[in-house]
Amino acid sequence: MQNVPIVELSDVAISFAGVKALAGVDFACHAGSTHAILGENGAGKSTLIKIISGVLKPDTGTIAVNGSKVGFSGPADAADAGIVCMFQELSLIPDLSVADNVSILRPPRRFGLIDRRAQIARTEELLARVRCEDVDPRAMVRDLSLSRRQMVEVAKALGRDPKVLILDEATSALTQRDVETIYGLLDELRADGVCSLFISHRMHEVEALCDRLSVFRNGQHVETFAKGERSDAEIVRLMIGRDVTAKFPPKPPIRAERAPAVRLDDLRWEDRLKGVSLTLGKGEILGIGGLDGQGQKELLLALFGVLKGTKGTVTVGDGDGLATSPHRAKTGKNRIALIPDDRKTEGLMLSLSIADNIVAAALDKVASGGVIDPGRLDAAVRDGIARLQIKAGSPAHAVRTLSGGNQQKVVLAKWLMIAPDVILMNDPTRGIDVGTKQEIFRMMRTLADEGKSILFYSSDYAELIGCADRVIVLYDGRVVSELTGEAITEEAIVAASLNLKGEVA
Amino acid sequence: MTTMPQIRPDDRPLLIAFGFTLVILVIGTGYTLSTTGTMPLLQPSYLMQQLQIGSFLGICAAGMMLVILTGHIDLSIPWTLTSAAMVATSVGGPWAIPAGLSVGLCVGLVNGFGVSVLRVPSMIFTLGLDTVLRGLMVARTGGFAPQDTATPAMLYLAKAKLLGVPVALFVWIAVSLVVTFLLTRTTFGRALYATGTKERAAWLSGIRTRAVVTGAFLGSALCAALAGVLLAGYSAKAYQGMGNSYLLPAIAAVVLGGTHILGGRGRYAGTFLGVVLIVLLNSILSIMQMPEAFRQIIYGAVIIGMLLIYGRGTRVSE
Repeated sequence: MQNVPIVELSDVAISFAGVKALAGVDFACHAGSTHAILGENGAGKSTLIKIISGVLKPDTGTIAVNGSKVGFSGPADAADAGIVCMFQELSLIPDLSVADNVSILRPPRRFGLIDRRAQIARTEELLARVRCEDVDPRAMVRDLSLSRRQMVEVAKALGRDPKVLILDEATSALTQRDVETIYGLLDELRADGVCSLFISHRMHEVEALCDRLSVFRNGQHVETFAKGERSDAEIVRLMIGRDVTAKFPPKPPIRAERAPAVRLDDLRWEDRLKGVSLTLGKGEILGIGGLDGQGQKELLLALFGVLKGTKGTVTVGDGDGLATSPHRAKTGKNRIALIPDDRKTEGLMLSLSIADNIVAAALDKVASGGVIDPGRLDAAVRDGIARLQIKAGSPAHAVRTLSGGNQQKVVLAKWLMIAPDVILMNDPTRGIDVGTKQEIFRMMRTLADEGKSILFYSSDYAELIGCADRVIVLYDGRVVSELTGEAITEEAIVAASLNLKGEVA
Repeated sequence: MTTMPQIRPDDRPLLIAFGFTLVILVIGTGYTLSTTGTMPLLQPSYLMQQLQIGSFLGICAAGMMLVILTGHIDLSIPWTLTSAAMVATSVGGPWAIPAGLSVGLCVGLVNGFGVSVLRVPSMIFTLGLDTVLRGLMVARTGGFAPQDTATPAMLYLAKAKLLGVPVALFVWIAVSLVVTFLLTRTTFGRALYATGTKERAAWLSGIRTRAVVTGAFLGSALCAALAGVLLAGYSAKAYQGMGNSYLLPAIAAVVLGGTHILGGRGRYAGTFLGVVLIVLLNSILSIMQMPEAFRQIIYGAVIIGMLLIYGRGTRVSE
């Protein structure tokens, strides 16, 4: 390259609890460029920017700013060096005014006290730069809409006079007009010699804005290239790579006609589900794909009766409507079970025993008139442990003593005890070992063969391809693609996840 | 694998409380032997009398335990107890006791509704209801005492003896058996522990957590009301402030018995021992004719000290 990179990482590695998040990463970006970072869920994008912005410290490797080595002790250090980050989660304090938030780090001072007038004048100037003159600097942040808040966040970042500006999914909650503003702003900043690092799942934005692209996969930096050097199809292939993953049980031949177990018609909830329609057949494993946070979790929760204020028609079985609470979902004519994604806080009661967890959903099955029959309870617990081959010393041990895989089996055992007709699974294999994953996939297939219907979200495309009879891909709260049989390929899923219509396949 | 009999972590608080009860008995007996040469603490009649007084606290603590297991707390016990006693004595006749208990029923339902449906923190809601009840009672009596004598049935339950044992003690034991049965053998009990451990996970398991929490508050208020009816019988009348000295000892007994103050863990046997411990500690301090100020200091210090021991134990075992 022509000059010294403004930020350069060499051989950076970091791991969390023994799992490598980044390994041997060399990365450089230059002043006066807009640099896109692409990758699948869990590829290490967020970890990378956290290291650059001083939130995380790498286990090994060095960071250099303008050619000299630095060791940030926190985000404030990085900000002093001119590296400013806008995180995905908004960092504004709702109960402070816009002006207070914008200059929270270094408010203008007079005689040691905050100079409110100067602070407001400065905020007005910054808001004008992001074309948000309509926002009153004295307004409370809590009273602003989400898109306004995000623009205030941009103003706050600008107020720190960045040399490197990191935008992590900065446009996800913005209106079209604000997106245009950001585009213009990024052009201005580039002209001023600022380096912008841009993380987005929207390919057209990357196309429009960035001049360089870096692709990450499995914690490694795959390649960096200038815009236009690679086609969309090549970029998608770089993001996927080739990794051998778990083996899956054989799929049955495709059946065109299945009796519907669940039918959704135009399901809506707040701004997360924007009209989802789908049919889940009896004995079918229907996979849900898409990038994280496109409404998959909300879809499963809605079906389980957790969300209040859903709109649209839902038909379960012959004519039941949407359950209004998990209890109703569990005890309806067609019993529904949900395997949540966070087993530690939603799936299990960690400090209770394995036995107590296994029977938690089916207490009335081991009791008559509210009085528990110890014999039936023990038999049920033994049955659950044997059925899923849970490796545990004694059912009286606390669930927290089990490994992640066995914990997840306890969650499954709990729900199998109610003999559910429909099983909703939210990323059931997250963070568990390959052996247990295979057991779970076999279990799912067996259940489907018995006529149960499974709706299954996974952040790992390989699981959807290996396990699902049919895959739907969600993007921004809508079903953007439906794939069956041979058409379920990584290319097709990734392309649909990025909402690229037919360009890749 | 070791074959040594190991102390289960669940049993630890029970053993500590039991050991401490013995220590109190030994110290107290040593003291009375050295001063007067008698040992009243080891006489069945004296112990029986102390436990009779302790049964009011025991019944309150049994109810309190249900609420603490869900991770909440019930601070409305003092005036639930007093209101129930006042209503029972003023209704009089055969309906006195049902009237008193129905006060508990109402208070429990209101508390349960406020905490589980309106989602007001239990500490605030129950404290508020306690104050409302006090206002209602003061307004009703207008500062005077109307008809406030206990009915014969109340007197019998609180003061009479059956086979040489105070009837109040039988009532306490009956309440204990019911609570133990509820906690160990019913779906409600399992749901109570599950809700107290992790309410969200319990709810997502299809447990009706609102009903469970309401049930716990209902149990607590009914116990407090029953204690109020008995206490009115014991004192032969209801009076303002009669419940004031039952709130903190009830919480202390539950926690000393090893129930986790944030919910989800604890056994009823522990609460029972906790009550015995507090009753004995009180009676020794009065035998020693300790000035009130010192009694309060020792009482508080013992509770804090024992909780420190428990805290240390759990940190090591985890």
